Amino acid sequence: MALQNLGEGRSRPSFSRYFGVSRSAMASPATFMALMAPGVAIVAAFFLIPLVLVAMEVANGPDGWATYLVILTNARYFESLVQTLLMSAGVTVVALILCGIVGMFLVRNRFAGRSVLIGLLTLPLSFPGTVVGFMVIMLAGRQGAVGGISNALIGEKIVFAYDIAGLFIGYLYFSIPRVILAVMASAEKLDPQLEEAARSLGAPRWRVVRDVILPGLMPGLISSGAICFATAMGAFGTAFTLATDIDVLPMVIYTEFTRNANIAVAAALSIALGVITWLCLSAVRFLVGEKADVTTRGGA
Amino acid sequence: MNATAMAQPGSQTVQTEKTGGTRIELARCTKTFPDGTRALLPFDLTINGGETLVLLGPSGCGKTTILRLIAGLEFPDAGGKITFGEDDVTRQSIEKRRVGMVFQSYALFPNMTVAENVAYGLKVQKVERRERDERVRAMLEMMHIDMLADRRIDQLSGGQRQRVALARAIALRPRVLLLDEPLTALDAKLRVKLRTEINSLLRKLGITAIYVTHDQEEAMALGDRIVVMQKGAIAQIGTPREIYRAPLSPFVADFVGASNRLDGRIEQNSLVLGDVKISLDQIGHAMTGDPIKNGDSNSNSRSGQGLADIYFRADGLAICAPDQGQIRGRVEAISYLGEKSRLTVSGIGESVITLDVDPDFQIAIGDDIHCRFNPERLTVFGRYPDARNAAQAM
Repeated sequence: MALQNLGEGRSRPSFSRYFGVSRSAMASPATFMALMAPGVAIVAAFFLIPLVLVAMEVANGPDGWATYLVILTNARYFESLVQTLLMSAGVTVVALILCGIVGMFLVRNRFAGRSVLIGLLTLPLSFPGTVVGFMVIMLAGRQGAVGGISNALIGEKIVFAYDIAGLFIGYLYFSIPRVILAVMASAEKLDPQLEEAARSLGAPRWRVVRDVILPGLMPGLISSGAICFATAMGAFGTAFTLATDIDVLPMVIYTEFTRNANIAVAAALSIALGVITWLCLSAVRFLVGEKADVTTRGGA
Repeated sequence: MNATAMAQPGSQTVQTEKTGGTRIELARCTKTFPDGTRALLPFDLTINGGETLVLLGPSGCGKTTILRLIAGLEFPDAGGKITFGEDDVTRQSIEKRRVGMVFQSYALFPNMTVAENVAYGLKVQKVERRERDERVRAMLEMMHIDMLADRRIDQLSGGQRQRVALARAIALRPRVLLLDEPLTALDAKLRVKLRTEINSLLRKLGITAIYVTHDQEEAMALGDRIVVMQKGAIAQIGTPREIYRAPLSPFVADFVGASNRLDGRIEQNSLVLGDVKISLDQIGHAMTGDPIKNGDSNSNSRSGQGLADIYFRADGLAICAPDQGQIRGRVEAISYLGEKSRLTVSGIGESVITLDVDPDFQIAIGDDIHCRFNPERLTVFGRYPDARNAAQAM
C-alpha cells in the first residue's frame, strides 16, 4: 500500500512536467519568430544583402548582364579560373593524402612528444594567409633558406616562392591543420577490430586500406576536403604576398576592382567564383556522399 | 593450397568439417609488451582438435592476449612456439593463418550488406562468383539470417549482427574459430539464446574453437575445458565440473561463484570453525596440502594445524531447527528470486553470507536463524605457505 502511494505521488508531477516541456518545445508562432529574428537578421545583413548588391552591380557595367559570361569568353579570366581550379584541386588531393596518413598514424600510435607534434601541425590555423606567404618567401624566396643551401651545395640558388610551387606550398601549409583534425576525428571512431576482422579473412594491407579504412575515413575526408578546396579557391592573402606571375581568381578580382575600377567585371567574377566552388563541392558530395553517409551511420 | 581447399561446393562444407578440427599447441609462450609489461608468464597450452576451450578470467588477466597470439595479431616473445597441427605458425601473419574471428564489437563492415560481409573473405581469396554466392547462401541459411542478406548492418539488431559475424568467420572454413567475448554486448535473455546456438553450431561443425569470456556461466555452458586465468598466468585447467567442484585455489573458487568465505582452522584432520568441528573426510573438496604426504617441514604443518579458508556457494549452508544448528546468524536482507529466496546473513563470518531458502519459507529481516553446514558443498584451503603448489603436485 505504502509503496503504491509513493509510486503514484512520484509519477504525477513528472507527468505534468513532461507536458510542460513538450509545450514549450513546440513554441507559439510569435515566440518562433522572435527566436528566429536574430538569425535572419545576421544572414540578411552579412550574406544575402551584400550578395544581391554584388550580383546587381554587374548590370551597371558596359555589357550589362552579359558580363557574367566574361569568365568563359575572356581568355585571361578563363585561364585564371582553370589555374585556380587545378591549384585548389591539387592542394586538396595532396592535403588529403598527406593528412590521411599522418592523422591515422597519430590516432593509432602513442609516443613521447605526440601532443607537441599535433600542436605544431595545427599551428597554421592561427596564421593569416599573409603570414603564410611571408613564411614561404623566407623558405624559398630570393633570400630564402632553400636558395641559401642549394647555393652552397651546387652553386645555384633554387627559388620557387614566386611561382606556382610556392603558392602550392603556402596553400598546403594552410590546409593541413583542418584536414588533420577532421581525419583524426574520423579515425578515432574507426574500430581497430574492423581491420583485424578483414585481416583474419585474408585481406592484404592494401585491401584493408581500400575496403575498411578509406570508407571509415570518408566522411571526414569529404568534409575537410570541401573546406580545403573552398579555402584554396578563395585564398587571397598568401597569393597577394607571393604574387608575381600567378593569376589566381581572387587576385584577378582584386586587380579589376582596385586598379582598373572595373566593378562590374569584378562583381561577375566574384559571383562566378562562388557558384563554381559551390558546384564543385556539390558534385563531390553527390558522387561520394551517399556512400559516406552509410559509413557514418553504420559505425557500430 | 588455400584456394583449392576453397573450391569445393558449398553444400559439402558442413560435412567435411565434421571430420575433426585442427590441434593447436602453444609451447613455452610468453608475451611482453613493448612498454615492458609482462602480459603473459611462461605457459604451455594444448587445444585438442574439435575442442571448445574457454579462456576465463577477470579483465587484464591475459586471456585476450592468448587469443591474439593464436590469431596472429600478436607474436610470442622469442622462444615461444605455436603450431596448428603439423604447421608451425609462430611467425605466420594472421592473413595466412586461416583463423575465423568473432569480436565483442561485431566488427562488421558498415559499408557492406550482410551478404557482402559474409562474402568478403571468399572474395579476397578469389573464390569464383557462383561458388561464392552458393557458399554465402548456405552460411546465411545455417545462421537463420538468409532473409537479411541485402540489409545494411545498421538495420540489424545486436543478435542478428553477431550471427552475421559468425557466418562471416566460418565461411572460409578456418582451422580455428576465435571468439572474443562475443555475447558481452547483448542483453541477458538474448545472451543465453545465442549461447545455446553457438554451442550447437560448434558441435555441428566439429571445429576447434577458443572462446574468451569473463562470464563463469557462459564458460560452463560452452567449454569442453576451461582455462581460468589470473594475472597473466594459468590458474587452473579443467572440465567445467572440475573447475566448479574442485577449484585449485581460493582465486578460482571465488571466480567461479563460491562467493561465501569464512575463516577456520585445521586441527587433527578436522576443520574447526568456532564450536563446529567437521572431519576433513566429509568435506567436499579440501586442499590442505597434507604435510605428511608432502613431507613439508613447516612446523605449523607438521602438527597438522593451520589456518584455513572456507569457500562455499549458497547451498553450502542451510537453515535448520535450533537444536540441530551449528552456527547462528541474523537475516539482513531477503531477495525473492522466484524459485528460491536468497538471504543475506550476518553474524557468521566477518562479512555477510548468502544462502538460499524455499521461497515460501516464512522469514523476515531481523530474524535470528540457526544453520548447518553441508560438508559436501564446502571447499577448504589450508593456508600453508605453499598449499597451492602442494595441491598441484598431488
